[in-house]
Amino acid sequence: MSTADAVIEVEGLTKSYGKFQALTGLDLQVQRGEVHGFLGPNGAGKSTTIRVLLGLLKADSGRVRVLGGDPWNDVVALHRRLAYVPGDVSLWPGMTGGEAIDLLGALRGGLDERRRADLIERFELDPTKRGRQYSKGNRQKVAVVAALASDVELLVLDEPTSGLDPLMENVFQEVIGEATKRGATVLLSSHILAELETLADRLSIIRDGRIVQEGTLADLRGNTRTAIHAVLDRQPDAAVLAALHGVRLEGSRLTATVESSHIGDAMASLTPYGITSLTVEPPSLESLFLRLYDDSPEATR
Amino acid sequence: MSVLTTSRATHAPTGRLTGTKPLLRASVKHDGRLFAPWIAIVTALSASSVLVYPWVFPSAMDRMALAIAIGANPALSLIFGPAHDLSSVDGFNAWRSLALGGFFTALGATFAVTRATRGQEDSGQAELLASGVMGREARLLTGVGIAVIGSILLGVVSSLVTVLCGGAWDASLLLGATFTATGWMFASVAAVTAQLGSDARTANSMAVGTLGSLFVLRGFAQSMDAPAWTVWVNPLGWPMETQPAGANRWWPLVFALVLTAAMLVVAFVLQARRDFGQGAIAPRPGPDRGSARSTWSLALRLNRGPLVTWTIAFVLLGIVFGYFATSVTDIASSDSAIAGVLAAGVVTPEAIVQAFLVMVLSLVGILAAIPGVQTMLKVRSEELEDRVEPLIATALSRPRYYASHVVVALVSSTFFVLVAGTVIAILTSTADMGVGFGDVLLQAVVTVPAVWTIVAVSVAVIGARPIVSLAAWGGVLASFGLTLLGPTFGLPDWALGVSPFWHVPKVMADNPDAMGLVWVSLFTFAFLAVGFVGFRRRDLAR
Repeated sequence: MSTADAVIEVEGLTKSYGKFQALTGLDLQVQRGEVHGFLGPNGAGKSTTIRVLLGLLKADSGRVRVLGGDPWNDVVALHRRLAYVPGDVSLWPGMTGGEAIDLLGALRGGLDERRRADLIERFELDPTKRGRQYSKGNRQKVAVVAALASDVELLVLDEPTSGLDPLMENVFQEVIGEATKRGATVLLSSHILAELETLADRLSIIRDGRIVQEGTLADLRGNTRTAIHAVLDRQPDAAVLAALHGVRLEGSRLTATVESSHIGDAMASLTPYGITSLTVEPPSLESLFLRLYDDSPEATR
Repeated sequence: MSVLTTSRATHAPTGRLTGTKPLLRASVKHDGRLFAPWIAIVTALSASSVLVYPWVFPSAMDRMALAIAIGANPALSLIFGPAHDLSSVDGFNAWRSLALGGFFTALGATFAVTRATRGQEDSGQAELLASGVMGREARLLTGVGIAVIGSILLGVVSSLVTVLCGGAWDASLLLGATFTATGWMFASVAAVTAQLGSDARTANSMAVGTLGSLFVLRGFAQSMDAPAWTVWVNPLGWPMETQPAGANRWWPLVFALVLTAAMLVVAFVLQARRDFGQGAIAPRPGPDRGSARSTWSLALRLNRGPLVTWTIAFVLLGIVFGYFATSVTDIASSDSAIAGVLAAGVVTPEAIVQAFLVMVLSLVGILAAIPGVQTMLKVRSEELEDRVEPLIATALSRPRYYASHVVVALVSSTFFVLVAGTVIAILTSTADMGVGFGDVLLQAVVTVPAVWTIVAVSVAVIGARPIVSLAAWGGVLASFGLTLLGPTFGLPDWALGVSPFWHVPKVMADNPDAMGLVWVSLFTFAFLAVGFVGFRRRDLAR
């Protein structure tokens, strides 16, 4: 599945802290130019994976390539080409946000002055406040501005918007869109489903230290069931109902779910019974994730 | 603020201390063990003098020789205070433990109070607590409570163990009581500074700075035969004036109680007036553009405050030690035994001055390593607070990041030794006492490699095994113990030689031997190598 244009390639990555196995054979592929959603329950190993990708942690085993290099050995060369927003942004208490942005930018090899000013204005960030005075959301804005103000090929974002208000969330989605237009690749770890729905081209879902699902949103939706609400003239035969799942009949009202790939078949089998009203609900992201996060082993099959 | 005041007014006076009891119980359970090392240190200090004394100084002759040696080195009385009676076990213990034991207890009490007040506000724990069913005064009272209980425990344990080891009841109990009283005084001082500084580091620096200044002033006043009031106005003079094993006076400790009570009143008034998480000084907006654009300027920036403070401290230290050195022969010859030795020509006044200067500059060196070690510990705390991660995620290599802090640590320690050394050199060379400016400064310069070695210990620890970051203080503690206390233990040369300061050549002697510095520097390189390799190889923030 290896591609010449993969920006991140991980195969069989393992990492443990003492006895605790944080990653147990993780595979991850991120293609150039895409926004890759990275999600999973708390403690599944998202941040550990990201820290290995950044060369902050050393992999126990497995093959890890970032931008064609080894993140542990080619640290400096790789880091010139990527930017990172940590999940818990901690700023220097006595240093202003503006100073922190300039420091991080300078260490990465310079930042785009025009974009810096533009981002500060759009995120409504006060760069003269000291680190200890910022709220969580504002600390995150500082990190996001610092990361996006540099011209980089890869953005690694670890829950970058968990403290932002909905207005700022919109701004964030805009600027990520602009970054991908410039050709940047984004690895976006997030729990905000709407954000992933808008931004992510492909998703990888991690659980217990390995990827359990991978694909486009449509692919993942294909695996789940679509809800059908129909009002019928006549009650359908048991054989027809048996092809559906979670059937509930209240008089003439039928509620059921069906595999997304079998919607057409279901319609065909129900049409003879006289459909007078029909609603077909695509699987909500929420139900999708609830199913994928679900701990029962059968849920992931 | 007005909202706060009214809400407090409506709850007062019933609920202000609500929650203190459960909070104190929980704090003692979780943070109480952090006081244990201080109890261990002070108890070891006191008990060991009682154990060692009859063994190292068995005869009256040995004890006389000890009295002469101590009398001939006023640098020692600067630390330990005057020796009233070195011919008995308890007199020896009182001299050796009184000042230092109180100093360590005060440090423990200070850290305990700051940790439970400012430290918790910094980390956010206090916010959780304050939102619970808890009076406004409960947290400060808990912090003070831990320190007060810890100090009592320290006094009781140290005096009981000392008695068990062979100390007299009255002297040992009084000695323990002075430790407790000193702990209480500085618990109250820390309670005040925790209201003034707006974070734990500032609060601790203010309290420890107060302790250090009073300690130096007390030593100065007592060794210089200054007027008696200069000792009596100094809170650290009161424990000294109890004179355990001599006059055995308890009443000077009443002053300590009064001071503790007064400072606590001030602390609670200040606490009631300030907003949560704020200090006495409100922060102003800062620059919107940054000037720190490299890891070197960041390392300097992070340590800027302490660097300025320590520079001032070392100028003052240089003045105190330098001024002291100019009268060292007078002080020595006021001791009848020394006067005899001097008159007999066994020891020349120059030799006394030279020995004094070597000792004092070693002391300056050990003290100058402390800010170096603090700089390295800062690397660890930055790492734990997730501030190193975003830096390493830029085009910054780990060795370069580490090097910037190591260089700041080594250069600043060097600078401090040279600052104090220059001041001492100016004062002694202009006093017409047979030592030149160059000699003293050179002595300061040859002390520097030893300072590097103990800073390098912390470089190795933080780089390779940061889990045991307390071990970073190992070099400082070992050097301090061996250089100051080692001789009173009668330790053999090989043991004393563990301290790098033992190898510092005496440049004013006839044949200074510089080979020791080469060996010491080999260890420095080894420690640095371990630190750099470790920092490159290990996982960050684990």
